[in-house]
Amino acid sequence: MSVTTRALGDALAALVGAGADETPATRAVAAIDGRQPQWVVRPRTLDEAARVVALAHDEGLAVAPRGSGCAVALGAPPERVDLVLDLAGLDAIVEYTPEDLTVTVQAGVTAGALAARLAAHRQTLPLDPPGWARRTLGGIAATAASGPLRLRYGTMRDLLLGVRFVQADGVVTWGGAKVVKSVTGYDIPKLMVGSLGTLAVLGELTLRLHPLPEAEATCLVPLAAVEAAQDLAAAIVDSTLQPNRLELLDPGALAACGLPAAAAALVVAFGSAEPAVRAQQAAVAARAARAQGRVDSLGPAFWRTYDRVLAGAGATVLRASVPATRVAATLAEARAALGGVASLSATACAPLGALRLAIGEGDPARLAPAIERLRAFVAADDGSVVVERGPAALRTAIDPWGPVPAPALDLMRALKQELDPRRTLNPGRFVGGI
Amino acid sequence: MALTPQFVEELRGIVGAEALVLTVEGRMVYECDMHTFYKGAPDAVVLPARVEQVQEVVRVCRRAKVPIVPRGSGTGLIGGAMAAEGGVMVGLNRMNAILEIDLPNRCATVQPGLINLWLTHAVREQGWFFAPDPSSQMVSSIGGNVSTNAGGPHCLKYGITTNHVLGLEMVTGRGDLVRLGGKTVDRPGYDLTGVAVGSEGTFGLVTAVTVRLTHAPESVKTVLAAFRTLVEASETVSAIIAAGMTPAALEMLDEAIIRAINAGTGAGYPEGAAAVLLIELDGPDAEVEAQGARAAEMCRQRGALSVSVARDEAERALLWKGRKEAAGAVGRLTAAYLLQDAVVPRSKLPQIMREMVAIGERYGLPIANVFHAGDGNLHPMICYDDRVPAELERAKEANEELLRACIALGGSVTGEHGIGYDKAKNLPLQYADADLNVMYRVRGVFDPQRLMNPRKLLPTHPACGEGFRPQRPMLPAGTWV
Repeated sequence: MSVTTRALGDALAALVGAGADETPATRAVAAIDGRQPQWVVRPRTLDEAARVVALAHDEGLAVAPRGSGCAVALGAPPERVDLVLDLAGLDAIVEYTPEDLTVTVQAGVTAGALAARLAAHRQTLPLDPPGWARRTLGGIAATAASGPLRLRYGTMRDLLLGVRFVQADGVVTWGGAKVVKSVTGYDIPKLMVGSLGTLAVLGELTLRLHPLPEAEATCLVPLAAVEAAQDLAAAIVDSTLQPNRLELLDPGALAACGLPAAAAALVVAFGSAEPAVRAQQAAVAARAARAQGRVDSLGPAFWRTYDRVLAGAGATVLRASVPATRVAATLAEARAALGGVASLSATACAPLGALRLAIGEGDPARLAPAIERLRAFVAADDGSVVVERGPAALRTAIDPWGPVPAPALDLMRALKQELDPRRTLNPGRFVGGI
Repeated sequence: MALTPQFVEELRGIVGAEALVLTVEGRMVYECDMHTFYKGAPDAVVLPARVEQVQEVVRVCRRAKVPIVPRGSGTGLIGGAMAAEGGVMVGLNRMNAILEIDLPNRCATVQPGLINLWLTHAVREQGWFFAPDPSSQMVSSIGGNVSTNAGGPHCLKYGITTNHVLGLEMVTGRGDLVRLGGKTVDRPGYDLTGVAVGSEGTFGLVTAVTVRLTHAPESVKTVLAAFRTLVEASETVSAIIAAGMTPAALEMLDEAIIRAINAGTGAGYPEGAAAVLLIELDGPDAEVEAQGARAAEMCRQRGALSVSVARDEAERALLWKGRKEAAGAVGRLTAAYLLQDAVVPRSKLPQIMREMVAIGERYGLPIANVFHAGDGNLHPMICYDDRVPAELERAKEANEELLRACIALGGSVTGEHGIGYDKAKNLPLQYADADLNVMYRVRGVFDPQRLMNPRKLLPTHPACGEGFRPQRPMLPAGTWV
């Protein structure tokens, strides 16, 4: 160990005490794509986190912020990781005013812990990315992760009202507001959502909440073809029906969820007053009958199963975004491109054209050409394919983000240069090598 | 600033003589928006018809270091569309085409000059609408809505403009034509669309907008309730939200407005009413039926003087009549008023309403209020006599005090009108130096020469200047270096 390294360790210990860990076991667990950090630092306060970032910035250390670690395989392997900043200790619910339907939490609070607190007031933060209960809210914000509820409530982008963050040089900064409606100054929270910790370390989030629906019911509509599922999904949302989740499942996903085999199926949920839930379900049954489908009721446990399946499935997971009208065609192309090399199970928030492809294979030699083929296919509709999870070798062989057009990428690079010129935060993991 | 003859020739060459305004009378038309306090005529106005012309105008302005001020319909309320430093104003009204309506993908792409309501007109028969509904929607442009991130009564349920913008095409202050976002969701990279919406023309000129379209609800129910006191009405608002309802709109009118409306054509609000609540619920029939009945019951329980429920479209229009006439009715109260747009957490409504009455009394000025109670977005109109010079100054002070009171309760400077020239000075109430400095630097990414709509949105403040360095956290004395 070099003298410098020892002294930096002392400095970190001075800042966070036992929160600075350099034991081999801890470092190994915190490794990102095989790159072991020299330190794993677990601040107890936002102020401590800021000091750690300031020190790392001044000393030229690369910092990787970490929440639950669920999404650590998103993005390119980092160029450098000297210090993993473990934010799990920032786990306080700072301010909750049920009457305002807003809450302020530290970044390390898990969505599950928050849900438990909100349930007492029949309120919810309607964000359900795969494995949501144990994911931190800071992590969900940094990765812009989403789940089935996005159909009705949008994503973190629509729910994040304000954010306190640590800039790359350690300056603690606030953006947005604590009220549900504000256009004061630039919408800095939007910049932070999905930025994968490359612009700042998220410390505290103020979020918009929704009331829990009085009643919710879920039904399964098996169909004879993916096209029929896409069409029925469109017919449901292009009407006065207001489902809060509407997922399309392919045979692989149906099997994984323990549901009866079919060429494709929709799972539709309504949340509202009880009579409204019943009326809307009946309307779906009528439409399904017209599409030669039938409707089976699913219990509330289905969404827990679904969440577990999505969180667990696949050595590699791709997220494809296409226009809603291209879901079936994209799925067919994915099957043609990937089906030959590996097992594939697919789900989609069909009305939004957001597909999730779980692949039982991670060999880059076989997968990379298939992913590039799929990218070429969706490019015709201005779509994208992102590797949400996969072996480091795959994410080295191809850009996990795919191409971003030049003028927009220039702006993104300029933004990174402005906010993190020394590339302290997550260097190399984001689009275009940011 | 004086434009050189050569520069003017370049502008003429780009847009043509008929789309170039140079005369004093012609330019005066463009000297202010709806906030008529702030006047700044541009040195020239160009009215481009094509994206290439917009890009060329930006190119020559950059070269000559001439400020560029975008303008839509000029209905903004914040002095955003006036030329604070002169320069070239770019009127985007001629670029008002609907480029594409893609109903199967529930979106449309339009040019910035398109009038908000025209888009809804184009898709209404098929059952769709464009959700952001600022009161100006009959005349304001979608480009202007994007610029200010406009809201409206129904954004309580549907969200403000940013929640409906999928993508933008813009010519940035760097001179590049750039496409941000698009029809598909979850696009890789930073959400530049998100930060560009609401940037009030300080990043560049928007040349096309892709927006989400929303399906019309199955039914709409409107409830109007009159209360003896503002506090009762405010508490009812809180109770409705707390009961788990998300009305499409939840509007409140105060006593001064009620009197003004009753004195005019008259919506016939009951005598003795100090507050009127307008509650609109929309969605599936059964949901609206259940919630409408419940909302009406809650109003009665809280001592409402009267509760009316609209049974059809005609009755609904009648209930909205007063609300829609409110701004005009203020004319019966006063010759001039200052309009505020601050926000408070909705649970603080009763408190801020009490403070507002106290402020009005202290300054001896009537304050009338018609506002979006459901999301805590106030619109107090501080009435003054513009023939008495001292009254304007008093009104400004009252306005400032009210704003501070809102911020002290955890609120925000503006809920939907924007910052513009008017409120730039107020940003430090809500943001620390480091926060402002980040905004200043983000602006520089899009507009390094800072030619785009100068003196708008950001204050002239040390944190918004070159060389400012925010306070960094203290580190222990280093033995490690």
